[in-house]
Amino acid sequence: MSNSHLFMKSGFPRAPLQNGLGRYVCQLQRITLKFCKNNGSSKGMRDFIENHLVDFAKENPGIVVYVKPRRHRTPVLVGEYLNGDREWMSCRNSTEADITKWVDLLKTQNGSSSSLRLRKMWHTDVPSIQGPWTPFLLRAPETHGQAYPSVDASKPLDAPQTATEKLIELFRQQQLETEDVLSQKRAE
Amino acid sequence: MSFLSHTMRQVLRQAATQTSTLTGAMRCLSLAPALWQQNKPAAAAVAPIDVAAVAKDQQKECLSICERVNQQVAKQEQGRLFAVVHLCGKQFKITAGDIILVEGYWPPTTGDEISLDKVLLAGARDFTLIGRPILEPGLVTVKATVVEKTLTHTKTHFKKKRRKQYMRINFQRSPNTMLRINTIEVARPVDASSEAEQEPSKRLF
Repeated sequence: MSNSHLFMKSGFPRAPLQNGLGRYVCQLQRITLKFCKNNGSSKGMRDFIENHLVDFAKENPGIVVYVKPRRHRTPVLVGEYLNGDREWMSCRNSTEADITKWVDLLKTQNGSSSSLRLRKMWHTDVPSIQGPWTPFLLRAPETHGQAYPSVDASKPLDAPQTATEKLIELFRQQQLETEDVLSQKRAE
Repeated sequence: MSFLSHTMRQVLRQAATQTSTLTGAMRCLSLAPALWQQNKPAAAAVAPIDVAAVAKDQQKECLSICERVNQQVAKQEQGRLFAVVHLCGKQFKITAGDIILVEGYWPPTTGDEISLDKVLLAGARDFTLIGRPILEPGLVTVKATVVEKTLTHTKTHFKKKRRKQYMRINFQRSPNTMLRINTIEVARPVDASSEAEQEPSKRLF
Protein backbone atom coordinates (compact mmCIF):
# COMPACT_ATOMS: atom_id res chain seq x y z
CA MET A 1 0.00 0.00 0.00
CA SER A 2 1.48 3.29 -0.98
CA ASN A 3 1.17 6.44 1.01
CA SER A 4 0.27 8.76 -1.85
CA HIS A 5 -3.26 9.10 -0.56
CA LEU A 6 -1.89 10.86 2.53
CA PHE A 7 -1.28 13.98 0.49
CA MET A 8 -4.78 13.94 -0.91
CA LYS A 9 -7.43 16.43 0.08
CA SER A 10 -8.96 15.05 3.26
CA GLY A 11 -12.22 15.71 5.02
CA PHE A 12 -14.94 14.52 7.33
CA PRO A 13 -18.28 12.94 6.42
CA ARG A 14 -20.94 15.54 5.69
CA ALA A 15 -24.33 15.38 4.06
CA PRO A 16 -25.46 18.46 2.13
CA LEU A 17 -28.29 20.63 3.47
CA GLN A 18 -29.47 18.39 6.32
CA ASN A 19 -30.31 15.71 3.79
CA GLY A 20 -32.17 12.79 5.30
CA LEU A 21 -33.34 14.63 8.42
CA GLY A 22 -36.82 15.18 7.03
CA ARG A 23 -36.87 13.22 3.81
CA TYR A 24 -34.21 12.09 1.44
CA VAL A 25 -33.59 14.31 -1.59
CA CYS A 26 -31.75 12.82 -4.55
CA GLN A 27 -28.71 14.97 -5.20
CA LEU A 28 -28.27 14.03 -8.84
CA GLN A 29 -30.09 16.61 -10.98
CA ARG A 30 -29.02 15.89 -14.52
CA ILE A 31 -27.48 12.96 -16.32
CA THR A 32 -26.14 13.13 -19.88
CA LEU A 33 -25.42 10.04 -21.95
CA LYS A 34 -23.20 10.72 -24.94
CA PHE A 35 -22.64 7.94 -27.48
CA CYS A 36 -21.99 7.09 -31.11
CA LYS A 37 -24.67 5.40 -33.21
CA ASN A 38 -22.38 3.07 -35.14
CA ASN A 39 -19.08 2.69 -33.29
CA GLY A 40 -18.42 -0.59 -31.44
CA SER A 41 -17.16 1.12 -28.28
CA SER A 42 -20.66 2.50 -27.72
CA LYS A 43 -22.35 -0.90 -27.99
CA GLY A 44 -23.00 -1.19 -24.25
CA MET A 45 -24.30 2.35 -24.04
CA ARG A 46 -26.67 1.80 -26.97
CA ASP A 47 -27.98 -1.39 -25.34
CA PHE A 48 -28.51 0.44 -22.08
CA ILE A 49 -30.43 3.21 -23.82
CA GLU A 50 -32.60 0.67 -25.63
CA ASN A 51 -33.43 -1.53 -22.68
CA HIS A 52 -33.16 0.41 -19.41
CA LEU A 53 -33.14 4.15 -19.95
CA VAL A 54 -36.91 4.67 -20.13
CA ASP A 55 -37.40 2.64 -16.95
CA PHE A 56 -34.67 4.63 -15.24
CA ALA A 57 -36.28 7.93 -16.22
CA LYS A 58 -39.69 6.75 -15.04
CA GLU A 59 -38.34 5.57 -11.70
CA ASN A 60 -36.51 8.84 -11.09
CA PRO A 61 -38.75 11.73 -12.07
CA GLY A 62 -36.42 14.17 -10.28
CA ILE A 63 -33.50 13.48 -12.63
CA VAL A 64 -33.31 15.10 -16.04
CA VAL A 65 -31.94 12.69 -18.65
CA TYR A 66 -30.21 13.92 -21.80
CA VAL A 67 -29.19 11.59 -24.60
CA LYS A 68 -26.71 13.02 -27.05
CA PRO A 69 -25.60 11.06 -30.12
CA ARG A 70 -22.36 12.20 -31.72
CA ARG A 71 -20.33 10.63 -34.44
CA HIS A 72 -17.12 8.68 -33.84
CA ARG A 73 -16.57 9.66 -30.23
CA THR A 74 -16.31 7.45 -27.12
CA PRO A 75 -19.40 7.05 -24.95
CA VAL A 76 -19.47 9.27 -21.87
CA LEU A 77 -21.62 9.59 -18.75
CA VAL A 78 -21.92 12.99 -17.11
CA GLY A 79 -23.76 13.61 -13.86
CA GLU A 80 -24.52 17.06 -12.48
CA TYR A 81 -25.31 17.52 -8.82
CA LEU A 82 -27.24 19.85 -6.61
CA ASN A 83 -24.07 21.20 -5.04
CA GLY A 84 -22.67 22.16 -8.46
CA ASP A 85 -20.35 19.18 -8.86
CA ARG A 86 -19.99 17.58 -12.26
CA GLU A 87 -18.81 14.01 -12.65
CA TRP A 88 -17.49 12.94 -16.03
CA MET A 89 -16.96 9.28 -16.76
CA SER A 90 -15.72 7.55 -19.88
CA CYS A 91 -17.64 4.35 -20.72
CA ARG A 92 -15.51 3.17 -23.61
CA ASN A 93 -16.11 -0.53 -24.37
CA SER A 94 -18.11 -1.05 -21.19
CA THR A 95 -21.00 -3.49 -21.22
CA GLU A 96 -24.64 -2.84 -20.51
CA ALA A 97 -24.31 -4.22 -16.96
CA ASP A 98 -21.32 -1.97 -16.25
CA ILE A 99 -23.18 1.10 -17.39
CA THR A 100 -26.20 0.15 -15.26
CA LYS A 101 -23.89 0.03 -12.25
CA TRP A 102 -22.19 3.33 -13.02
CA VAL A 103 -25.51 5.09 -13.57
CA ASP A 104 -26.69 3.71 -10.25
CA LEU A 105 -23.54 5.02 -8.57
CA LEU A 106 -24.03 8.47 -10.09
CA LYS A 107 -27.60 8.43 -8.82
CA THR A 108 -26.79 7.42 -5.24
CA GLN A 109 -23.87 9.71 -4.50
CA ASN A 110 -24.01 13.27 -3.26
CA GLY A 111 -21.38 14.78 -5.49
CA SER A 112 -18.14 13.67 -7.02
CA SER A 113 -16.45 12.02 -4.03
CA SER A 114 -13.56 10.44 -5.84
CA SER A 115 -10.86 12.75 -4.53
CA LEU A 116 -11.63 13.06 -0.83
CA ARG A 117 -9.93 11.02 1.84
CA LEU A 118 -12.18 10.53 4.86
CA ARG A 119 -10.57 10.99 8.25
CA LYS A 120 -13.51 9.77 10.32
CA MET A 121 -16.45 7.47 9.73
CA TRP A 122 -18.64 9.51 12.05
CA HIS A 123 -19.88 13.07 12.38
CA THR A 124 -21.86 14.59 15.22
CA ASP A 125 -22.96 18.06 16.27
CA VAL A 126 -23.37 16.98 19.90
CA PRO A 127 -20.20 15.22 20.98
CA SER A 128 -21.19 14.63 24.60
CA ILE A 129 -24.50 14.38 26.42
CA GLN A 130 -23.53 13.28 29.91
CA GLY A 131 -20.47 15.54 29.88
CA PRO A 132 -16.95 14.65 28.85
CA TRP A 133 -14.89 12.33 31.02
CA THR A 134 -12.41 13.88 33.41
CA PRO A 135 -9.98 12.13 35.74
CA PHE A 136 -12.05 13.35 38.69
CA LEU A 137 -15.26 11.72 37.46
CA LEU A 138 -16.73 9.22 39.96
CA ARG A 139 -13.88 9.72 42.39
CA ALA A 140 -14.24 9.94 46.14
CA PRO A 141 -14.35 13.59 47.18
CA GLU A 142 -11.34 13.13 49.49
CA THR A 143 -9.04 12.48 46.56
CA HIS A 144 -9.66 15.96 45.18
CA GLY A 145 -7.93 17.68 48.05
CA GLN A 146 -5.18 15.10 48.37
CA ALA A 147 -1.74 16.57 48.93
CA TYR A 148 1.16 14.75 47.31
CA PRO A 149 3.41 13.05 48.18
CA SER A 150 1.16 11.15 50.53
CA VAL A 151 1.99 7.98 52.41
CA ASP A 152 -1.37 6.37 51.81
CA ALA A 153 -1.50 6.95 48.09
CA SER A 154 2.04 5.76 47.43
CA LYS A 155 1.59 2.35 49.02
CA PRO A 156 1.38 -0.59 46.61
CA LEU A 157 -2.14 -1.85 46.10
CA ASP A 158 -1.40 -5.46 46.93
CA ALA A 159 0.64 -4.88 50.09
CA PRO A 160 -0.29 -7.63 52.52
CA GLN A 161 -1.79 -6.67 55.85
CA THR A 162 0.79 -6.44 58.60
CA ALA A 163 0.31 -8.01 62.00
CA THR A 164 -0.02 -4.58 63.62
CA GLU A 165 -2.73 -3.55 61.21
CA LYS A 166 -4.53 -6.80 61.81
CA LEU A 167 -4.39 -6.21 65.57
CA ILE A 168 -5.71 -2.68 65.17
CA GLU A 169 -8.52 -3.92 62.98
CA LEU A 170 -9.46 -6.60 65.50
CA PHE A 171 -9.45 -4.02 68.27
CA ARG A 172 -11.68 -1.68 66.26
CA GLN A 173 -14.04 -4.53 65.47
CA GLN A 174 -14.27 -5.37 69.15
CA GLN A 175 -15.01 -1.77 70.00
CA LEU A 176 -17.76 -1.60 67.38
CA GLU A 177 -19.27 -4.82 68.66
CA THR A 178 -19.38 -3.58 72.23
CA GLU A 179 -20.89 -0.32 71.04
CA ASP A 180 -23.58 -2.20 69.19
CA VAL A 181 -24.40 -4.36 72.17
CA LEU A 182 -24.58 -1.28 74.42
CA SER A 183 -26.84 0.58 72.02
CA GLN A 184 -29.14 -2.42 71.74
CA LYS A 185 -29.38 -2.64 75.51
CA ARG A 186 -30.11 1.03 75.71
CA ALA A 187 -32.86 0.65 73.14
CA GLU A 188 -34.37 -2.18 75.13
CA MET B 1 -26.98 1.16 51.49
CA SER B 2 -28.48 -1.34 53.93
CA PHE B 3 -28.69 -4.22 51.49
CA LEU B 4 -25.15 -3.49 50.40
CA SER B 5 -23.87 -3.90 53.91
CA HIS B 6 -25.86 -7.10 54.25
CA THR B 7 -24.33 -8.60 51.19
CA MET B 8 -20.89 -7.40 52.22
CA ARG B 9 -21.30 -9.22 55.47
CA GLN B 10 -22.37 -12.34 53.70
CA VAL B 11 -19.38 -12.28 51.43
CA LEU B 12 -17.03 -11.63 54.27
CA ARG B 13 -18.38 -14.49 56.31
CA GLN B 14 -18.11 -16.93 53.48
CA ALA B 15 -14.52 -16.21 52.67
CA ALA B 16 -13.09 -14.53 55.68
CA THR B 17 -9.65 -16.05 55.55
CA GLN B 18 -8.86 -16.28 51.85
CA THR B 19 -9.60 -12.69 51.01
CA SER B 20 -7.40 -11.24 53.71
CA THR B 21 -4.57 -10.47 51.26
CA LEU B 22 -6.92 -9.08 48.67
CA THR B 23 -8.96 -6.79 50.85
CA GLY B 24 -6.15 -4.25 51.06
CA ALA B 25 -5.96 -4.02 47.29
CA MET B 26 -9.71 -3.83 46.93
CA ARG B 27 -9.87 -1.08 49.45
CA CYS B 28 -7.31 1.04 47.67
CA LEU B 29 -8.86 0.49 44.26
CA SER B 30 -12.34 1.16 45.47
CA LEU B 31 -13.89 4.57 45.27
CA ALA B 32 -15.51 4.48 48.67
CA PRO B 33 -13.36 5.50 51.59
CA ALA B 34 -11.90 2.75 53.71
CA LEU B 35 -14.03 3.54 56.73
CA TRP B 36 -17.27 2.83 54.90
CA GLN B 37 -16.01 -0.51 53.82
CA GLN B 38 -15.15 -1.81 57.25
CA ASN B 39 -17.40 -4.70 57.87
CA LYS B 40 -19.34 -3.49 60.80
CA PRO B 41 -20.39 -6.67 62.57
CA ALA B 42 -23.98 -6.74 63.69
CA ALA B 43 -24.89 -7.49 67.24
CA ALA B 44 -27.20 -10.23 66.06
CA ALA B 45 -24.49 -11.80 63.95
CA VAL B 46 -25.51 -15.23 65.09
CA ALA B 47 -28.98 -14.86 63.63
CA PRO B 48 -29.23 -16.13 60.03
CA ILE B 49 -29.55 -13.43 57.36
CA ASP B 50 -32.85 -13.39 55.58
CA VAL B 51 -31.80 -13.77 51.94
CA ALA B 52 -35.30 -13.17 50.64
CA ALA B 53 -35.49 -9.88 52.52
CA VAL B 54 -32.18 -8.76 51.02
CA ALA B 55 -33.39 -9.66 47.54
CA LYS B 56 -36.61 -7.80 48.15
CA ASP B 57 -34.65 -4.77 49.27
CA GLN B 58 -32.60 -4.84 46.11
CA GLN B 59 -35.68 -5.22 43.97
CA LYS B 60 -37.29 -2.27 45.65
CA GLU B 61 -34.24 -0.12 44.91
CA CYS B 62 -34.27 -1.25 41.26
CA LEU B 63 -37.96 -0.54 40.91
CA SER B 64 -37.65 2.94 42.30
CA ILE B 65 -34.85 3.74 39.84
CA CYS B 66 -36.86 2.34 36.91
CA GLU B 67 -39.87 4.32 38.02
CA ARG B 68 -37.88 7.54 38.08
CA VAL B 69 -36.57 6.85 34.59
CA ASN B 70 -40.08 6.10 33.34
CA GLN B 71 -41.46 9.25 34.90
CA GLN B 72 -38.79 11.33 33.23
CA VAL B 73 -39.48 9.73 29.84
CA ALA B 74 -43.24 10.16 30.25
CA LYS B 75 -42.84 13.86 31.03
CA GLN B 76 -40.43 14.30 28.08
CA GLU B 77 -37.81 15.68 30.44
CA GLN B 78 -35.04 13.29 29.47
CA GLY B 79 -33.57 15.63 26.85
CA ARG B 80 -31.41 14.32 24.06
CA LEU B 81 -30.79 10.60 24.00
CA PHE B 82 -27.68 8.85 22.78
CA ALA B 83 -27.10 5.21 21.95
CA VAL B 84 -24.31 2.82 21.14
CA VAL B 85 -25.35 0.63 18.22
CA HIS B 86 -23.71 -2.33 16.59
CA LEU B 87 -23.78 -2.03 12.83
CA CYS B 88 -21.91 -4.20 10.34
CA GLY B 89 -19.32 -5.34 12.86
CA LYS B 90 -18.63 -1.89 14.24
CA GLN B 91 -19.98 0.07 17.15
CA PHE B 92 -21.06 3.68 16.82
CA LYS B 93 -22.00 6.18 19.51
CA ILE B 94 -24.82 8.16 18.01
CA THR B 95 -27.44 10.79 18.77
CA ALA B 96 -30.21 12.14 16.57
CA GLY B 97 -28.79 14.04 13.60
CA ASP B 98 -25.49 12.17 13.44
CA ILE B 99 -23.88 10.84 10.31
CA ILE B 100 -22.20 7.45 10.27
CA LEU B 101 -20.49 5.57 7.50
CA VAL B 102 -20.62 1.86 6.78
CA GLU B 103 -17.64 0.54 4.88
CA GLY B 104 -17.88 -2.23 2.32
CA TYR B 105 -20.76 -3.81 0.48
CA TRP B 106 -24.09 -3.18 2.17
CA PRO B 107 -27.39 -3.72 0.33
CA PRO B 108 -29.64 -0.82 1.52
CA THR B 109 -29.94 1.98 -1.03
CA THR B 110 -30.45 5.72 -0.72
CA GLY B 111 -33.74 6.85 0.75
CA ASP B 112 -34.23 3.63 2.71
CA GLU B 113 -35.39 4.14 6.27
CA ILE B 114 -34.04 1.47 8.57
CA SER B 115 -34.12 0.81 12.29
CA LEU B 116 -30.93 -0.19 14.01
CA ASP B 117 -31.91 -2.99 16.36
CA LYS B 118 -28.66 -3.95 18.06
CA VAL B 119 -28.60 -1.24 20.69
CA LEU B 120 -25.85 -1.93 23.21
CA LEU B 121 -26.45 1.10 25.37
CA ALA B 122 -28.81 4.03 25.50
CA GLY B 123 -28.56 7.06 27.71
CA ALA B 124 -29.72 10.55 28.48
CA ARG B 125 -28.39 13.28 30.74
CA ASP B 126 -29.55 11.58 33.93
CA PHE B 127 -29.75 7.87 33.19
CA THR B 128 -28.12 5.11 31.17
CA LEU B 129 -29.65 1.84 30.04
CA ILE B 130 -26.97 -0.78 29.59
CA GLY B 131 -27.61 -3.95 27.59
CA ARG B 132 -26.18 -7.36 28.42
CA PRO B 133 -24.89 -7.34 25.69
CA ILE B 134 -27.79 -5.67 23.87
CA LEU B 135 -30.94 -4.06 25.20
CA GLU B 136 -34.08 -6.12 24.82
CA PRO B 137 -35.59 -5.62 21.37
CA GLY B 138 -38.22 -2.93 21.18
CA LEU B 139 -37.06 -1.02 24.24
CA VAL B 140 -35.14 1.65 22.37
CA THR B 141 -35.88 2.42 18.73
CA VAL B 142 -33.17 3.94 16.58
CA LYS B 143 -34.28 5.12 13.15
CA ALA B 144 -31.89 6.00 10.36
CA THR B 145 -32.01 7.00 6.70
CA VAL B 146 -29.53 6.00 4.03
CA VAL B 147 -28.28 9.26 2.57
CA GLU B 148 -25.49 8.33 0.23
CA LYS B 149 -23.79 5.38 -1.39
CA THR B 150 -20.43 6.11 -2.97
CA LEU B 151 -17.04 4.66 -3.58
CA THR B 152 -13.97 5.65 -1.62
CA HIS B 153 -11.06 7.45 -3.23
CA THR B 154 -8.79 5.25 -5.30
CA LYS B 155 -6.44 3.33 -3.05
CA THR B 156 -3.20 2.13 -4.55
CA HIS B 157 -1.86 -1.28 -3.60
CA PHE B 158 1.75 -1.38 -4.67
CA LYS B 159 3.92 -4.42 -4.05
CA LYS B 160 7.56 -4.85 -4.96
CA LYS B 161 10.21 -7.42 -4.15
CA ARG B 162 13.73 -6.23 -4.60
CA ARG B 163 16.05 -8.07 -7.02
CA LYS B 164 13.27 -10.54 -7.91
CA GLN B 165 11.74 -8.83 -10.93
CA TYR B 166 8.42 -8.69 -9.05
CA MET B 167 6.18 -5.67 -9.07
CA ARG B 168 2.40 -5.42 -8.85
CA ILE B 169 0.17 -2.41 -8.74
CA ASN B 170 -3.54 -2.63 -8.00
CA PHE B 171 -6.13 0.10 -7.71
CA GLN B 172 -9.13 -0.37 -5.52
CA ARG B 173 -12.28 1.54 -4.62
CA SER B 174 -14.61 0.06 -2.03
CA PRO B 175 -18.24 1.06 -1.47
CA ASN B 176 -19.24 3.38 1.38
CA THR B 177 -22.73 3.97 2.75
CA MET B 178 -23.66 7.12 4.63
CA LEU B 179 -26.43 6.96 7.22
CA ARG B 180 -28.26 9.81 8.89
CA ILE B 181 -29.65 9.04 12.34
CA ASN B 182 -33.19 10.39 12.56
CA THR B 183 -34.53 9.53 15.98
CA ILE B 184 -33.63 7.69 19.16
CA GLU B 185 -36.56 7.00 21.45
CA VAL B 186 -37.38 4.95 24.49
CA ALA B 187 -40.33 3.06 23.07
CA ARG B 188 -41.82 1.52 26.19
CA PRO B 189 -41.40 1.75 29.95
CA VAL B 190 -38.19 0.35 31.33
CA ASP B 191 -38.31 -3.01 33.11
CA ALA B 192 -41.95 -3.79 32.47
CA SER B 193 -41.03 -7.45 32.51
CA SER B 194 -44.65 -8.56 32.78
CA GLU B 195 -45.38 -7.08 29.39
CA ALA B 196 -45.33 -9.57 26.53
CA GLU B 197 -42.22 -9.62 24.38
CA GLN B 198 -42.88 -7.52 21.32
CA GLU B 199 -42.17 -9.05 17.94
CA PRO B 200 -38.75 -7.72 16.96
CA SER B 201 -38.51 -6.22 13.51
CA LYS B 202 -37.05 -8.53 10.91
CA ARG B 203 -33.27 -8.50 11.09
CA LEU B 204 -31.66 -8.62 7.73
CA PHE B 205 -28.06 -7.88 8.58
